[in-house]
Amino acid sequence: MNVPEGSGVDQEEDLKEVKRLRSGPRRPDLETLYCIDEDGSHHVIHPADVRGRFQRIKKAVWTILVVIYVALPWIRIGGHPAILIDIPRRHFFLFGHTFNAMDFWLAFFFLAGVGLTLILLSALYGRVWCGYACPQTVFLEGFYRRIERWIEGTAPQREKLARSPWTVRKILKKGGKHFAYLVLSLVLAHVFLSYFIPVRELGNVVTSSPAAHPAAFVFVMALTAVMMFNFAWFREQLCLIICPYGRLQSILSDPDTIVVGYDARRGEPRGRYNREGRGDCIDCYRCVAVCPTGIDIRFGLQLECIGCANCIDACDEVMDKLGQARGLIRNDSLNGFEGRRSRFWRPRVVAYFSLLALVFGGFVYATSKVEPIEARFVRLPGPAYVIEGGKIRNQFRLRLLVKEGGPRHVSIEPLSPEGAEFIFSQRDFDLPLLEYREVMTFVSLPRSSFRQGTAVEVWVRFGEERRTVRAPFVGPDD
Amino acid sequence: MNAGSSTQDRLREHDFDGIREYDNRLPNWWLWTFYIMIIFSFFYWVHYHVLHTGPDQWQEYAAEVKAEEEKLASLAAKNPVTDETLLEESRNHEVVARGKKVFMTNCVSCHKADGGGLVGPNLTDRFWIHGGKPAQILHTITVGVPAKGMVAWGPVLGASRIRDVTAYLLTIRNTNVPGGKGPEGSEEK
Repeated sequence: MNVPEGSGVDQEEDLKEVKRLRSGPRRPDLETLYCIDEDGSHHVIHPADVRGRFQRIKKAVWTILVVIYVALPWIRIGGHPAILIDIPRRHFFLFGHTFNAMDFWLAFFFLAGVGLTLILLSALYGRVWCGYACPQTVFLEGFYRRIERWIEGTAPQREKLARSPWTVRKILKKGGKHFAYLVLSLVLAHVFLSYFIPVRELGNVVTSSPAAHPAAFVFVMALTAVMMFNFAWFREQLCLIICPYGRLQSILSDPDTIVVGYDARRGEPRGRYNREGRGDCIDCYRCVAVCPTGIDIRFGLQLECIGCANCIDACDEVMDKLGQARGLIRNDSLNGFEGRRSRFWRPRVVAYFSLLALVFGGFVYATSKVEPIEARFVRLPGPAYVIEGGKIRNQFRLRLLVKEGGPRHVSIEPLSPEGAEFIFSQRDFDLPLLEYREVMTFVSLPRSSFRQGTAVEVWVRFGEERRTVRAPFVGPDD
Repeated sequence: MNAGSSTQDRLREHDFDGIREYDNRLPNWWLWTFYIMIIFSFFYWVHYHVLHTGPDQWQEYAAEVKAEEEKLASLAAKNPVTDETLLEESRNHEVVARGKKVFMTNCVSCHKADGGGLVGPNLTDRFWIHGGKPAQILHTITVGVPAKGMVAWGPVLGASRIRDVTAYLLTIRNTNVPGGKGPEGSEEK
């Protein structure tokens, strides 16, 4: 047991105390984190099996989410993967749209929108994100815990195995479990990699030597290691100690927020089922046994509750057996548990909703402003104009880029000023997708026909589409 | 703080607007990150600040600059820019082919595809405005003639591509392509 030296505490006494507290089953309380023992070690939680309607809903939601996660890089929209983040080339393909590094500012609206959606959701329905959609929950409860249940058995069996001395059977079970975890982590890491390397190339990358793609290899290995650490051992500590979102709950929710809660008015005074005058709660501790973060929901809303609704299903099952009404533990607001009506529209909901609408509007507007074709003049460095042989010359680079569709045939046609002589380094060529091309452009105008305010205009045809590119023609003042 | 069971005993004394905290122990993994950092910092301190066996950031910077300068110097020593080396390169087909590509993308708009001159002067005759020796040509391309509209290509193309295009130019000079611009500048023999 690790007790730091020199802490000014009598170590002997401390150790005795720790041992005393650890003897007998530990029960959740409001003063300590259930997953951390008195001596600072990880108190491994073995949630019991639970069946019920919320388990079915979660299973369906998780299946859909995992299918989306795995399938997205395989789906092709407009000749590109539905999602591909090509970091070396700085090309981002998202659902048929193509963005480059210059469009990165759009990420502001996207991230702000995601953040505000989460905030609005938390104000209305508490931590539904945590319980139903967070990758931590989906992977941990949907995959890793299932593997553990399959290999090591039910919660009491797992607990017994953890306490038992190391035997061949235990080594085989634990080793098999961690091997399965490792395979799963590797698969999940490679799926994640397919968001950055197209699936068509991924096969080659995976089968070639790690030295050929060191960055991808290190990335996958590191991700696998992190997932092993997190899903095999760290688990609920991520939600309780590291994740900042749970901590925000207390400022995002109010008495009208729908949360997982215990109806104390109905349940208290709790007592054994045969006790006279008891409330509906028979103190069976089923709600605690199934909790993945090790809390007693009957203490009320707590930071550690990830809204998974395991305790609701567990309690409903018990209520059914007793012939009592379901919903002693249920999704309701704190007002609802007090017997009051809960409101949907509160000032904070209106405020969050308005902010979200604003950001969403900004996102729609901003993305509509992103042109699939870029064409503009960039003046050459040096003097703005050159006078030579009675003519004024302006020099540009015409920067061209096609971001969507495919390669286009480009042709350039001078429009204005009249009587000017145009020289282009190229006028007819094929432009590949997402490749900048610079066409040197020289415009000479006889001094006599120059007026202040003259503009240079050219037509650039990109296949079927046409853009007019404009720039001021600069000359002497006189 | 010896009886861990009593709530009152484990409550810490400070009070922030009614918010008080329990004196629970940090998770061990958390403490270990501290212990490891403390151990690490000791060795770090001894290595960099006591024994000075490792370079500090200024020494590291100076070493990197020096290494880069040495690399450039050795490159220049191996392959100096002189009339002779440039002429030598103009006989290398690979270099000339690369140079032609650079010429066709960047230079043709002013000097015409065959080098006969358009806005810019004829590059296929014996006359040169800013000097016709190989090193002079390379210099003119690098720094440009801004007043006349010749871009300073040095920062755009980089040293090696400028050498390539110079090599290409040395193969087309004195070919006097038909339809070329009239002589400008002084004759280079």
